Amino acid sequence: MARGLGIVLYSGRADTLVLAGVLAQTAANYDMPVRIFVTSFATPYFMKEKPEPKLPQEFMEWGQKMFEGMAKMKAPSWYDMLKDAKELGDVKIMVCSMTMEALGFSKDHVDPIVDDVVGAATFLAEMSDYEVIFV
Amino acid sequence: MSDVQPTVTVDARGVACPGPLTSLIKAYRKAKNGDIIEVLATDAGFKADVEAWVKRTGNELLSLTEEGGVIRALIKVTAR
Repeated sequence: MARGLGIVLYSGRADTLVLAGVLAQTAANYDMPVRIFVTSFATPYFMKEKPEPKLPQEFMEWGQKMFEGMAKMKAPSWYDMLKDAKELGDVKIMVCSMTMEALGFSKDHVDPIVDDVVGAATFLAEMSDYEVIFV
Repeated sequence: MSDVQPTVTVDARGVACPGPLTSLIKAYRKAKNGDIIEVLATDAGFKADVEAWVKRTGNELLSLTEEGGVIRALIKVTAR
């Protein structure tokens, strides 16, 4: 298994955010360091005021079913999973500075769950011992 | 193995994946070698997950059973 897990989180889709939460928490369970680079359409969800995560149109039926099921199971939200992961292990969340500026966000908008606002170079520089996935 | 007395019991019944494993890890971090951790879970993925975790961390799985939808894992802490 790789030493660490790098996640490039670019989609703001509700299901993708859940996936990032599950994988980050599980990697933290394994004592694997996790670095999440938040960019593109995931960026607004890492600001203090968050829009409602969207479901992809083509999977609407399954998406609704999945989130209804998760509510029934009392599954934690993606945000709580990431928070848990951070409490549990070496998990850092970085937001792409370029996307932030392009979307009109400043550092004051950033959610406290975020560790830093950086460029892709900072993220990639750390990734030599990481398995990187793109979601 | 039913006569083994757990040092601590983690009740993760009704908790969704990956919650049960996280509950186990929280107990594991407080445990010392020789302790027995008992985990109760209802998440269907827990059986495979706990086996994978034990294999990766080098702890010992004393038993893994399922009764009435409740998975019970007994783990001997050996890799602290």
